[in-house]
Amino acid sequence: MRVVTSERLGGKGIGGAWSLAAKERLWRLALLTLILWGAWMARDLRWAVVWDSLPLLLGGLATSWALALLSVGLGGLAAIPLAVARVYGPPGLRHAAAAVIEVVRATPELMIVFWIFFALPGLIGVAISNWTAAVAALSLIASAYLAEVVRGGLYSVPKAQWEGALSTGLNRPQVFAYVILPQAARNMVPALVAQAVILFKTTSLVYVIGVIEFFRAVVIVNNSAFAPYALYITMAVGYFLCSWLLTWAVRRLDPKYILRE
Amino acid sequence: MDLDWYILWDYRHDLLRGLGLTVGISLTTILGATLLGLAVGCLRALPGFLLYRVTGLYVEVMRNIPVVVKLFFAHFVIGLDALPAGLIVLILHQSAYIADITAAGLRSVPLGQAEAAMASGLSYPQLFTSVLLPQAARSMIPPLTTQYTQVVKNSSVVMLIALQDLTFMTQRIEHETFRGIEAASGVTLLYLLVVLAITLAMSLLQRLLERRVG
Repeated sequence: MRVVTSERLGGKGIGGAWSLAAKERLWRLALLTLILWGAWMARDLRWAVVWDSLPLLLGGLATSWALALLSVGLGGLAAIPLAVARVYGPPGLRHAAAAVIEVVRATPELMIVFWIFFALPGLIGVAISNWTAAVAALSLIASAYLAEVVRGGLYSVPKAQWEGALSTGLNRPQVFAYVILPQAARNMVPALVAQAVILFKTTSLVYVIGVIEFFRAVVIVNNSAFAPYALYITMAVGYFLCSWLLTWAVRRLDPKYILRE
Repeated sequence: MDLDWYILWDYRHDLLRGLGLTVGISLTTILGATLLGLAVGCLRALPGFLLYRVTGLYVEVMRNIPVVVKLFFAHFVIGLDALPAGLIVLILHQSAYIADITAAGLRSVPLGQAEAAMASGLSYPQLFTSVLLPQAARSMIPPLTTQYTQVVKNSSVVMLIALQDLTFMTQRIEHETFRGIEAASGVTLLYLLVVLAITLAMSLLQRLLERRVG
């Protein structure tokens, strides 16, 4: 009987004359054909524009990566104390951390970029460059989302680990650093990667304050040379490949994730 | 530094208009993306290799390309008007996430339910609408809430193609009066209220479902 099981079996359809491996090969072939057909259809677009502006575009892509890595790094550093405050802190601190996390998560990313770039200089009385503002805004966004990832990771460690480690004579900071965090970190990897990919895509928003990352680089080239199809296809493929490669690499590297699949 | 909160009152009409557009776009997107996402999610659960792969490709492509890129493509390259471009892109984007949630929700329903429903002669549409989805709904509400708040936040990107939503109004006030802090505070507060309203509505829905299922 044919029932709704393909999802549970990871796409192995029941019945049919062909084996799964054969279907998989055929699908890859179809995908390749589709890509080649698309490339053939797009052969008359103005690829010369893309080729000529390749240094600018690649520089933009590198900037996007730098922004994403910097903000994941800085945000990750801030996320650990935030999550710890939210999970283990005394009531006042716990609520403060929760408020920060929830407000940042409920505010549009674009608004946060505006906040940092337009409003913050007025508050602190120091003008900040658009690059600094971009890193600050993305790090703030990253810290709130990553704090939730860390919190999930901390909850995933059984309570007995605390009790066991405390009973061996370690103090609480030691237990956290040597026993809890390493175990939590392993459970956080999939969510961490998902957030990193989302953050990589979020970097496309800081183009509004004039940082020349991948998106803005494409817009600049398009404004001067006007080859929207070629440029936007390049951009979509660029973003897709970067995000997808990141996901794929971690799926390959992380044994836990493979088991989960 | 001095703050002038009356600026928000002076711009109340603009702010309300922006709020109206943001809420309108958000609700339309929520409705459209939920329907499309449920459909794609159900297709993903059906037997059949090709269906599984094609829907998987759709989800991957939609999730791995930033909203702004799709938005500019729809507006400047394909040439759709701003509002339809924004709505279509937001619906397509969010439906991919909702499809994933649906697939995960369906996975949480015991296999026997589907087998029993099929054995009793229900058709595929009946199987989903009257057996699987109602049972999956309970586990889908929390992630759906996250996605719906995400919709409200993502709707702010439509200002980049000159739709006058809430975020757009921040910039207008900032440009006209240099009252960036007041504008940003007011607008952020409004966004928080919208998100809070959605969260409350969803928890109400959750409670209703719990009561019905028992």
